[in-house]
Amino acid sequence: MSRSDVLVDADWAEAHIGDPNLVIVEVDEDTSAYDKGHIPTAIKLDWKKDLQDPVRRDFVDKTGFEALLSERGVSNDDTVLLYGGNNNWFAAYAYWYFKLYGHDKVLLLDGGRKKWELDSRELSTDVPQRPRTSYTAREQDASLRALRDEVIDAIGKRNLVDVRSPDEFAGRLLAPAHLPQEQAQRAGHIPTARNVPWSKAANEDGTFRSDDELRQLYEGDASLDFGKDTIAYCRIGERSAHTWFVLHELLDLPNVKNYDGSWTEYGSLVGVPIELGEAR
Amino acid sequence: MSTDGCGAPAGGVSAPAAAGSQAVVEGKVTRDGAAVSAGYARLLGTGDEFVAEVPLGADGGFRFFAAPGSWTLRVLAPGGLRAERPVAADYGRVTRVDVTL
Repeated sequence: MSRSDVLVDADWAEAHIGDPNLVIVEVDEDTSAYDKGHIPTAIKLDWKKDLQDPVRRDFVDKTGFEALLSERGVSNDDTVLLYGGNNNWFAAYAYWYFKLYGHDKVLLLDGGRKKWELDSRELSTDVPQRPRTSYTAREQDASLRALRDEVIDAIGKRNLVDVRSPDEFAGRLLAPAHLPQEQAQRAGHIPTARNVPWSKAANEDGTFRSDDELRQLYEGDASLDFGKDTIAYCRIGERSAHTWFVLHELLDLPNVKNYDGSWTEYGSLVGVPIELGEAR
Repeated sequence: MSTDGCGAPAGGVSAPAAAGSQAVVEGKVTRDGAAVSAGYARLLGTGDEFVAEVPLGADGGFRFFAAPGSWTLRVLAPGGLRAERPVAADYGRVTRVDVTL
């Protein structure tokens, strides 16, 4: 994998609108943006309603994912091009999710919805109707997802990358500053975690920084040992999916997992170690 | 608490009922008297450190739940339009920052 295999720019996307076997998908937590206007031909996925289990805290199982993609008209052979708001947080999460269930051809639109909007490119309110398919997912790829016991065991051994803002890392906030401050029972971060806010990997227009800049950011500035396995986490696993994409897909590091339980799980666990204060 | 000279009252709007224990920063973005609904508001810390970003609402509005302190608000809109305002936030207070592009 390299950048050109996984990431496309807005010009490429614009030129390929309407291609057979390319399904453009907008993914967001709040899908009202899609309803107001989206990239022509794009369908939508609602991060919460479509991708999360309605009862348990987990995402939809293999059968549920198969039913969802079949109903939305996505085939196993299709190339899925993902984009969304929030600098592609939820689109990156969906990318990780599609990979987890073994979809072969997945792309992310560099800059997501923001770059598209700031470029004043065409938005459409037409909702495409795609014929139903019979989608088959693979079993979840456990090499991409970290669960809590593995995270606790990784303290002091693997790279732990906390991609939240410095205020969340230090324990001054429990959520990003555009959300109400509620969630985990305790604030702080996992001991030995490095703080590399996801935003440092992105330019102001939402596009990713260059590979050289990204290497310098993680390996240079944050002293991450690229020879070790890595687990990324944030609050609910969407910003860390953005960093997972950078480390695993753009920089091609072999063993990188996203901890989607993230701080809302870890910060509510009884008895686990927590550190407060600035990054060291 | 600083203001930007574009209409926000000095010290922000004290509205404990709305802010509760939160440090709220909110406002609207307009251009030639009309709401700017396509655009983004970013809250930045010292040294341009990214804190948060929201798309502008249909009425050009934005809202952040910040930590107390001094921040920079930056607005981005299509056509390369941008603006920056200093803003100070504190718990239990809604700090209002309206921006004209």
